[in-house]
Amino acid sequence: MRRLGPGGQGVGAREASAGDVREACARLRAAGPELIRRSTDDIAGVLGVVGVRFLDSDDPLRREALERLPHESGLSPRMASEVLEGMASDWSAERLRRMLRAEFGDPRCLDRPTELNGRRLMAHGPGLCVQIVSGSVPGVGVHALLRSLLVKAPTLIKPGRGDELLTELFAQGLGEVDSGLAGALAVLRWRGGSEAIEREAMTAADVAIVYGSDATVGALRAMAPATTRVVGYHHRTGVALVGRDSEPDRAASDLARSVAFFDQRGCVCPHRTWVETGGPLDAMDFAARVAQAMAHLESSLPAAPLSPEEASALQQLRGTAELRAGASGGRVWHGGAAAPWTVIFEPDPVPGPTTLARGVRVHALQDLEVAGEALAPLGEHLQTVGYAGFGARLDRLMEIAGRSGASRVVPLRAMSFPPPWWLHDGRGPLLELVRWVEVEAER
Amino acid sequence: MHPRFEETAAILEARFAEGSAVPWTDDAFGSHAFAVFVVQYESCSVYRSLCDARGITPANLAAWTDIPAVPATAFKYFDFIDDGAGAPEATFRTSGTTRGDEARGRHLVPRLSLYRAALLAPLRAALMPDRGRARFISLIPNPVEVPDSSLSYMVGAAADTLAGGIDWLVDAAGAWSSETEAVCRRAAATGEPVVLLGTALAFQHAIERAARGEPSLGRLPDGSRVMETGGFKGATRHVSRDELHGGITGLTGIPAERIVNEYGMTELLSQLWEPVLVEGLAGRGVHRPAPWLRVRALDPVTLHPVPEGRDGILCFFDLANLGSVAHVLTEDVGSVVDGRVRLRGRAPGAEPRGCSRAMDELMSAAGQP
Repeated sequence: MRRLGPGGQGVGAREASAGDVREACARLRAAGPELIRRSTDDIAGVLGVVGVRFLDSDDPLRREALERLPHESGLSPRMASEVLEGMASDWSAERLRRMLRAEFGDPRCLDRPTELNGRRLMAHGPGLCVQIVSGSVPGVGVHALLRSLLVKAPTLIKPGRGDELLTELFAQGLGEVDSGLAGALAVLRWRGGSEAIEREAMTAADVAIVYGSDATVGALRAMAPATTRVVGYHHRTGVALVGRDSEPDRAASDLARSVAFFDQRGCVCPHRTWVETGGPLDAMDFAARVAQAMAHLESSLPAAPLSPEEASALQQLRGTAELRAGASGGRVWHGGAAAPWTVIFEPDPVPGPTTLARGVRVHALQDLEVAGEALAPLGEHLQTVGYAGFGARLDRLMEIAGRSGASRVVPLRAMSFPPPWWLHDGRGPLLELVRWVEVEAER
Repeated sequence: MHPRFEETAAILEARFAEGSAVPWTDDAFGSHAFAVFVVQYESCSVYRSLCDARGITPANLAAWTDIPAVPATAFKYFDFIDDGAGAPEATFRTSGTTRGDEARGRHLVPRLSLYRAALLAPLRAALMPDRGRARFISLIPNPVEVPDSSLSYMVGAAADTLAGGIDWLVDAAGAWSSETEAVCRRAAATGEPVVLLGTALAFQHAIERAARGEPSLGRLPDGSRVMETGGFKGATRHVSRDELHGGITGLTGIPAERIVNEYGMTELLSQLWEPVLVEGLAGRGVHRPAPWLRVRALDPVTLHPVPEGRDGILCFFDLANLGSVAHVLTEDVGSVVDGRVRLRGRAPGAEPRGCSRAMDELMSAAGQP
């Protein structure tokens, strides 16, 4: 079993068994009372102490993270450093306390009965929170465990493949500063889809948070007893909408950065972009500028080298896009053998192979008012909408994007790193975890 | 149709009929490839625009290897066919993959006689080098039931010419015939060797049925042989090849040296075969293409050929694809030595990593051509 205590060196790869999960769950539950005795503010303070170690260039935790992230997460070293910076800047006590305030107003409601909007309320975290995370975006696991520890829930977490390193290092760091709090956290590895293990975990949890494909979330949800709350973060996708009042070079450069971060692995990444025409902006010209920005970024934020499988898939993507471009007035720009970025301009969205690595599709949009139709096929999978150049029409954009399923509308440049208090898939990340109790006074 | 289509097809059919034993010279292959390219460039606008974008035309072509290859994936989104062609004689579809919502590819075939000519000689050479005719027993569904399966078509066409009768044991829904045991018993009683054809998955089902005590394949006469296919494509195999072959031998008595793997795909009308019946177990693990099909292993990043014996992504030039597009870049991985292919498997790569949903699949849900 892989719980990392104080000084835990062996951030290794041993996989947990169902027995390990059972044992960890029992131990974590036993750590609950100690957690409840602590104040939320105190917990946020301790977690923040660990979090900022990842920003301190002299700290061994950060050094180890930077040394191993490129290999373990498949990011270029420059990119790994930027991603760590972006992620860990949200792990400070100040940011965590702000999240608590954003969610609860008065976070002391987690410690004792509190007056909130004229009601006497107290919030209780679950006795055991199980988090099954998938996806290889590094840092997601730490975000996840911070949430449940902040609501005083002993936490069992299985990080996504490629995200084990930061999750395990955080647990190790926590053990070094606060063994009590560290006793309420277990990081275990297992192969996603291992049914016996996952059934054990889903059965043990009071609240289970599961990240993954629709199929994964569905399968895990089906394992949980009726009394267990399951919060599913199924697959999502991001898009960009570029309004006709954009400054094209700046918008193209911001878009390119958001494409480059995480090499399009995240639900916050802009997989397709619609450019509003009917003004000074030409969609094909904008796509060309994005291509230029992608080429430029390759020197400052180089893409990770592709596996042979990914390189092969990229050839399929590029070749198919070239065929389409010839057939329907589109255009394709790419980095050739030297770089995996690929910008595909297709006036109208049409089926095509999945873009991967730094691939983005650019389409024309007649007017913001018809964006809803463009976004409709994404339905319940739409999450982040990045934007530029809508001026006074921002509220209108928010309305249309929201109706289309989006839960986050942000400037292009801000797409990659949502703040800790973001409405994850449209819901408060901490509020999802707690149960409220209300007392009514005798009259 | 292109004025040269029929003429070119007739020439190729005649050459295919000469058999697959003798390799073609580079010059011979190259000149046929050029003729095929001219037809495809001039008749298929989708393909022509790709060639134009890459600056390759019949007027400036230096070598057949410079002819632009289309990605196999593109068969999901485009019909590669003469712009002026009428209804095709057949439309073959790729099988669904593990990702059920993914678009299926399709291959429109304007002239089935060319497909028949391309499949017969290599199949005969691989499965019946020692016999003129034999009874077929097929676990692949009848093409009458599955007209969009190029594999079913192949079995049916081969049976028409080479078989002294055929028994279809598995229907389009995967249900086994109640005659399964009787068919095997009758075959055993005659003592005449049979050709047993099936996908790896169907054989696995046969093995599992037998293990559960359900009617399944039985002993077959000495000298019988097996065509097994599909093992390298699509979903991951749950059993190793040795296990599978051991199971087939256990059921039918047909030994490993008479189990022949066929490697083909809907996008190509020619196939590759393991020459085990001719070369014995030394021929296991290598696939021999027909002389009118050339294979190169390419570096996945640069698309330059990799040295002989090194793994690359496989790129095929299939003259039998005259009616669609001949040069096809696949996601299959393998090495090429002396024109033969050692398959490594299929690059499973296209699934994006991370929490992003494969948006393009969502967008394509309703958009199949």
